[in-house]
Amino acid sequence: MTAKWTKLTVATVLATLVFGASIAEAAGVLTIGRREDGTTFDPIKTAQNVDNWVFSNVFDVLVRVDKTGTKLIPGLAESWTVSDDGLTYTFKLRDAKFSNGDPVTAEDAAFSILRIRDNPGSLWADSYKIVDTATAADPKTLVIKLTGPSAPFLASLALPNVSVLPKKVVEDMGEDAFGEAPIGSGAFAVKEWRRGDRVILVKNPDYWDAANVSLDGVEWISIPDDNTRMLKVQAGEIDTAIFVPFSRIAELQKDPNLKIHLDTSTREDHLLINHEHGALAKKEVRQALDMAIDKKAIVDAVTFGLGEVAYSYIPKGALYHYADNLQRPYDPEKAKAMLADAGAADLKLNYVVNAGDEVDEQIAVLLQQQLAKAGVTVDLQKVDPSQSWDMLIAGDYDISVMYWTNDVLDPDQKTTFVLGHDSNMNYMTRYNNPTVKELVGAARVEMDPKKREQMYIDLQKMAKDDVNWIDLYYSPYRNVSRANIENFDQNPLGRFFLEDTKKN
Amino acid sequence: MSAALVPAWKAVRRRPTLLAGLILLSLFVVIALLAPLIAPFDPILQNGDLRLQPPSWGHPFGTDNFGRDIFSRVIWGARVDLQIAVIGVLFPFLIGTTVGTIAGYLGGKVDIAFMRFIDIILAFPFLVLMLSIIAILGPGLKSFYIAMALVGWVSYARLIRAQMLVLKTVDYATAALSLGFSGPRIMFRHLLPNAIAGSVVFSMSDCVLVLLSGAAISYLGLGVQPPIAEWGVMVAEGQSFITTAWWITLFPGLSIVTLAFGFSLTGDGLGDLLGVRE
Repeated sequence: MTAKWTKLTVATVLATLVFGASIAEAAGVLTIGRREDGTTFDPIKTAQNVDNWVFSNVFDVLVRVDKTGTKLIPGLAESWTVSDDGLTYTFKLRDAKFSNGDPVTAEDAAFSILRIRDNPGSLWADSYKIVDTATAADPKTLVIKLTGPSAPFLASLALPNVSVLPKKVVEDMGEDAFGEAPIGSGAFAVKEWRRGDRVILVKNPDYWDAANVSLDGVEWISIPDDNTRMLKVQAGEIDTAIFVPFSRIAELQKDPNLKIHLDTSTREDHLLINHEHGALAKKEVRQALDMAIDKKAIVDAVTFGLGEVAYSYIPKGALYHYADNLQRPYDPEKAKAMLADAGAADLKLNYVVNAGDEVDEQIAVLLQQQLAKAGVTVDLQKVDPSQSWDMLIAGDYDISVMYWTNDVLDPDQKTTFVLGHDSNMNYMTRYNNPTVKELVGAARVEMDPKKREQMYIDLQKMAKDDVNWIDLYYSPYRNVSRANIENFDQNPLGRFFLEDTKKN
Repeated sequence: MSAALVPAWKAVRRRPTLLAGLILLSLFVVIALLAPLIAPFDPILQNGDLRLQPPSWGHPFGTDNFGRDIFSRVIWGARVDLQIAVIGVLFPFLIGTTVGTIAGYLGGKVDIAFMRFIDIILAFPFLVLMLSIIAILGPGLKSFYIAMALVGWVSYARLIRAQMLVLKTVDYATAALSLGFSGPRIMFRHLLPNAIAGSVVFSMSDCVLVLLSGAAISYLGLGVQPPIAEWGVMVAEGQSFITTAWWITLFPGLSIVTLAFGFSLTGDGLGDLLGVRE
């Protein structure tokens, strides 16, 4: 071998080593591009998907929902029994550890359940008021006593927001500090949260099923611009991106380096109406708005036919969905007449739009023209998504498009949130119908499935009649990944199964 | 052509830059004025059956994702964008010229006060200041004009002031003063006409800046509100389709560039004509 060749060989070997090493290092870290950064890691203080979808992989729950989104399976609780009167639940916890090495105890589980019920900052308190006591019979046995029978109770324990938190750590650190740098018992642990940029997760070696976790880590990167996010996946800068714009699906499907995932979801997009603002308090006005909106046109223009016209707040495919619910025909002339009869002939509405959100902006332009045909003037107010959420909570809007994806199997949760007039002001709408509210409560404790189904059918009819909001469309989750990513799945409730994801 | 215009026409004809610039600008003015006659379709009419059509004889610039005719939207957009350029420059020009004349002529404490105030405004990045003013006033063109007037006048004030400092010491100014003419008369009738050429030339290049700011502000959703056709808004709306339907962004984008080019050429030519070197 000549000297020249020796040098070349050495160089090649070195390059291979260096290059190979960097690949090996990056190989196990999955990067996910999403639209916005999370808001907190304190599970009880948020109700947003951007937070919950990360919680599922950082924290663990007693009971999980399977990949099909239809069955409850063991989580931190290995098994459970329910007393005959339906009031006492006994959970047997598995041997699991938090990412700081501490064991997960029944005391932690009891603490977490009582915390979501009692904490003044909890957005979910109403869903857990049914809990009377939660106690640790021994370090691995949790006993929960309910104040009355509750059909959705077991399903509600699968909610990421009631994840089991380490009692000692939360108390030592204080809530606010914990919300920034949490400790959980999920498949991944939070290494760093660069606010506004990314959440860096590393594999949790103490996770009870760590042997089956393939990824070394996950980075949730916020890339607000849809085009940029897609380009980064196309260029291979990131492995996956969620929220693929409808307009890009057909084009990305043609790229052999990419996989498009259209996963069944429980997502429903709707037009929120602020019931406290002037004429919007009148049912007839809201019904007229419903008739003035051509949902089919939205499905065609905005979802490129991938969505379906929505007609009930319980999405298609979800438990107790009512397929025969009223669908008001698109009739701008009649809507105009109804508005005039209700004394709202020259209705002016302030429409809060998420700036930079392609779908939101397109729906806004469509709705503006559709409503104009019924004589309604719509002023579009484009604001930053983080600001729009605060405006909706503060009631600083007339109408705005929002969406909901079910977090639990049982319809009670969403029903409580959107009709039960709880702490969330019926999902910012300020809708308040005492009869409906009463029925929501009754359906929660009805243990006979047949009777319960009828109650939910009635609720869907009543909500439609009252127009608590305007149902627009149902749509699938749209994610894209590089072809080398396997098992990047999302169940209908939105949970990503990153513990099963592989990067080849 | 009247006798007075003949020398002007000759002067223009000798300067191809100016001529080209003026032709481009007049072209856009004509398009804007005749928009209702030229545009084949209603610019805001949505048509679900004609979504995302590529350019064709029926729709020379294609259609957007709502089935609106891009050609018609570009034509109607000329109205809005010309208005942005002209109104966006007019008020800063008037305010800046007045302030600059007064500050430069009076000097002393008045001058110092105005100049420090200008320094404060200049200390903020232009677009950030614009955005915050618009954020306070609420989105819309009116807010844009107000913000422009509040921020844009400083350049004119500085230009005129510098000229006035020189001019107020020349002989005819001293002569006017010794004849007992009033301050305003000397300032605005004797000195200003001689000081203003630089500002006029600058206003042309300022039109470019204002036009682009207007488009940028609209692009961010703070200027012209949908569904009104404005080129910046159109570029923003077409952004999501840039890889699949390039025509939505290309044509309004080209229009912005061409109009800006027209202002730029005119400014250059005027500078040459009036003997102003920037």
